[in-house]
Amino acid sequence: MARGISDKVAIIGMGCTRFGERWDVGADGLMVEALAEALADAGIERNRIEAAWVGNALDDINVGNSALPAAHALRLPGIPVTRVENMCATGTEALRGAAYAVASGAVDIALAIGVEKLKDTGYGGLPLRTKGVQNDLWMPYGSAPGTFAQLAGAYAARHGIDAGDLKRAMAHVSWKSHQNGALSPKAHLRSAVDMDKILNAPLIADPLGLFDCCGVSDGAACAIVTTPEIAAALGKNDPVTIKAIQLCASNGWEMQFGAWDGASVPNTQVASGRAYAEAGIKDPRAEIDVTEVHDCFSITELVIMEDLGLSDPGRAPADIMDGRYDAGGAIPCQLDGGLKCFGHPVGASGLRMAYEVYNQLQGRAGERQRDNVDIGLTHNLGGTPFNSVAAVAILGRLK
Amino acid sequence: MPGNVVAVGGYLPLLRIERKLLAKELAWSGLGMPRAGLRAVAGWDEDALTMAVEAARALVSTESAPAALRFASTSAYFTDRAQSGIALDALALPRTVRTADLANTRRAGTSALLDALLAGTDELVVAAEKRPTRAGSSAQAAYGDGAAAARTGAGGGATLLGHASLTHDIVDRYTSRDHPTPYAYEERFVRDVTVAEILLPAVRAALDAAGVSADRIAQVACAEPVSGCWKSVAGKLRIAAPNHCDTVTEQAGDLGAAHALLGFALALAAAAPGELVLLVGFGGGADALVFEVTAPVAGAAEVAALLDEGQALTSITRFLSLVGEVSLDWGMRSEFEQKAQATALERVGHDMIGFIGGRDSSGNVQFPKSAYPVNPALTEPEKMEDVRLAELHAKVVSITADRLNFSPDPPFDFGLVQFDNGARVLMEMVDRPAKGFAVGDAVRMRLRIKSLNARLGFRTYFWKAAPIARPKLGDA
Repeated sequence: MARGISDKVAIIGMGCTRFGERWDVGADGLMVEALAEALADAGIERNRIEAAWVGNALDDINVGNSALPAAHALRLPGIPVTRVENMCATGTEALRGAAYAVASGAVDIALAIGVEKLKDTGYGGLPLRTKGVQNDLWMPYGSAPGTFAQLAGAYAARHGIDAGDLKRAMAHVSWKSHQNGALSPKAHLRSAVDMDKILNAPLIADPLGLFDCCGVSDGAACAIVTTPEIAAALGKNDPVTIKAIQLCASNGWEMQFGAWDGASVPNTQVASGRAYAEAGIKDPRAEIDVTEVHDCFSITELVIMEDLGLSDPGRAPADIMDGRYDAGGAIPCQLDGGLKCFGHPVGASGLRMAYEVYNQLQGRAGERQRDNVDIGLTHNLGGTPFNSVAAVAILGRLK
Repeated sequence: MPGNVVAVGGYLPLLRIERKLLAKELAWSGLGMPRAGLRAVAGWDEDALTMAVEAARALVSTESAPAALRFASTSAYFTDRAQSGIALDALALPRTVRTADLANTRRAGTSALLDALLAGTDELVVAAEKRPTRAGSSAQAAYGDGAAAARTGAGGGATLLGHASLTHDIVDRYTSRDHPTPYAYEERFVRDVTVAEILLPAVRAALDAAGVSADRIAQVACAEPVSGCWKSVAGKLRIAAPNHCDTVTEQAGDLGAAHALLGFALALAAAAPGELVLLVGFGGGADALVFEVTAPVAGAAEVAALLDEGQALTSITRFLSLVGEVSLDWGMRSEFEQKAQATALERVGHDMIGFIGGRDSSGNVQFPKSAYPVNPALTEPEKMEDVRLAELHAKVVSITADRLNFSPDPPFDFGLVQFDNGARVLMEMVDRPAKGFAVGDAVRMRLRIKSLNARLGFRTYFWKAAPIARPKLGDA
C-alpha cells in the first residue's frame, strides 16, 4: 500500500460561517467570511496561498461553474484554482485536493473552501439535477430523503428489527443532534426538540419524518493547509494534522447487481477501512474520540455507525439508545449539531465537519468541548445509499 | 382470403370513479350528465400509447412477430411521430414490421381491424384513447380511458363472414385543433340520423354480405354515438342479442376508437362455438362486421375479467387533476424541466422503451447494458446478449413513499427491484395498493410516461413496477 499522507499535511487555519438561511449574503460573501476567519486563525496574508480548491455541489446559478466565482470573490492573485464537485462529499474532496498538493510538494500553502447558497432556490430540500441524457430516460427522480429512507426498511428486514424500535432509535439520533446544536453558536437550528415531537412529525418519505431530515442551508467553510515544517515556522509547533483522507466511489454494483441488500452503505466501509490503515488506527472504537458523520437523515447516521465499525452489525439502534454517541457518551457524534442542526450547505459540509474536529483537537470548542480529544473522524457521503461517494478523513495532532 | 381474429387483448387503468359522485358534485349547476356506472381514469403517466401497448402485450412475443401493426386513436399525443413506431419498440418487435397509424375518427379501431382482416395476414391491431374533456360536460363523465387489441391471421376462433362500411360525415360531435375537447350536438338529432342513415343500412349490408339473417346474431358489440341507437336498430332488425359495448360504457366509459373492440372482446368471451357476433364501429359512418365463433378466442376471458378489477377514486379534485381540468399549484419543486435529446433516444431509446438489458458472459443480466459488466467477477469489456425485462416479474428490495419529490399524483413511490436473472433496477412504482408497497413485494412491469415536457410538447416512456394483481372493485 502507498505510504499515504499521514502527518504530512498540517491545518493551520480554519473558518466557518454561521450556517442557515443567510438572506443577508450571497455565495461570494459567504466565502469571504469563511476565509477571513481562516486567515486570522493561520496568521498569514491571503497572498501566501499558492493554490486553491473550491467545492460547490449544487445550483450552479447561484455560485457558478469553474474556479472563477471563488477566484473573483476572494480576489485570489492569479494562482491555480480548481473547482471540485462530488455531490455531498464535495467539501472533503476539496480538502483532499489541497492536502495532496501540499503533500506532493507542489505548493507550500493551499486553500480548500466549500460553499453552497441553497436558500436562493425558493423552496425546501435540495434541487433536482438531471442525471445525464441516457439515465434521464429511465432513472427515477427521487428526492434525497426518498433515497435514504429506503435504508430503513432494508435495515429492519436484514436485522429483524421492529419498525417502531428503529423509528425510536432514529428519533434519538435527531434528539441528540438538537441537544448539541443548541450549544453551537453558528448552527442553523439551535433549539432542543423533545422525542414526542420528533416521532410525531409529518412524514417526508416513509419512514422519515420532518425531524429525521437535516437542514438545508447556506454556508461556507475552509481550511488552510501546509507542511508541518512551515506550520512550525509560523509558530504552530503542535498543529492539527491530517492522518488520513480516503474516498470511495460506487461503480454501480449496489444499484445494478444483486449482491447488496440495501441495509448499509458499502462505500463507507471501504473508505473507512482505508482511512484507518492510512492513519494507523487498529481499534477505531478505542482510538477515535469524536466523530462528525454525514447525518443527512437519521437513518443514515445509524447505518454509518456500523459501516465505520463503531457499532456491531445490527447493534447501532441499541448503542444509540444507550447514549454511546451522545455528547456525554463514549464516542460522541455531531458535537456541533451535525448536518441535522448545524445545517447542510452541501459543498461546505465536509469542511464544516473538519472545522469542529479541528476545534475539539485544540480545545477551542467552547461549551461543546470534550476532554482528551486526540483523534477525530469526519465522514462525508455524497449521492444515495445505492450510488454514492464516501469520504472519510481522520485528524489528530502532530505530537 | 380474409384472416381470422386469433386473439384479443384489453387494458383499463386502475382507477374508477362512480359517475354519481361527479353528478352529485355538480348538482348545484343543473348540468345534465350520466349518473350510472363507473368511469375508468388513466394515471397521470398513462396515455393512448402506454395503454395500447398494455393491451397488446399478451398478443405478441419475440418468437412470432406480426407482419404489421396498426395503431388507432383520436387522442394520440404526437401528431407527427408515429405511435405505431413507438409501440413497436415498446413491444420489442422487429423494425421490419409494417406500421400504420389511423386517427381522426372513433371508427379507426374497427377500420384498422377490418383492413387487417382483409389483408389476410398476421397483424396486430391496437386502439386506445385518453381523450380530454371539459369539466361540466357530460362527456367528461361518459368517456373512459382504455385500450383494446386484436391479433389477426390464420386459424383463430372468430371467422369474418361478411362486412360492410358506410361513410357519412355526420357531425354528431367533433374535436379539432382549435377545440380539442368534444363539441356535441343534440342527442335526438344524432340518434335519429345515426339509426336511419348509418347503422341500419350498414348492419343490413353486412348481414347480407355474410349471408345470414339478423336473428342468428347471438352477441353484439356496437359502439353508438348516443345511448339508444343500438336499441332502436335491434328493434327494427329483431335482434335480441346483448350489446356488450353497453357493459363497457357502464363499467369503464366510452373508449372512443377502442370502444367497439373492447366490447367485441367481451362478446367473444360470451359467445359459444357456432354463434355469430356482430361488431359495429361508429364515427363518420360505420363499419359492420359479422363473425362466426368456431372456438374460444384467446384473451377474451382475460379482457372480461378486467371489468371487475380496479381501485375506487373518490376525490373529485384528484379526478379533475388527472384529467387535466384542474391545474393545481404544486409549488416551485414542480418547475423542474428536462429535455429529452433525440440523439440519446436514437442511441439507447430502443433499449429503454423495450426494457432490454444485457446478459454478460457469466449469465448475469443487468440494466442498462454497459461495456464493462457490473458483475464484479468480470473485469474485461464484453458485448452483451439482449434480454427483455418487461415481461418478467421482480421483487422489491427497497422502497419509500416520497412526499417531497414532485409528482402529479403523490406520493412518489420508488425503490430498487430485483429480477431473478440478476438484473437490479431503480424504478418508480405505480398502481399503489391501499397499504402501499413493501420490501419483498412481487411486482410486474407496466409501460408508463417517464417524463413530460409540456413546454416543448414532448414526452418519454419507460417501465414502472406495479403489483402483480389488481384488487377486485369494492375491495380497495
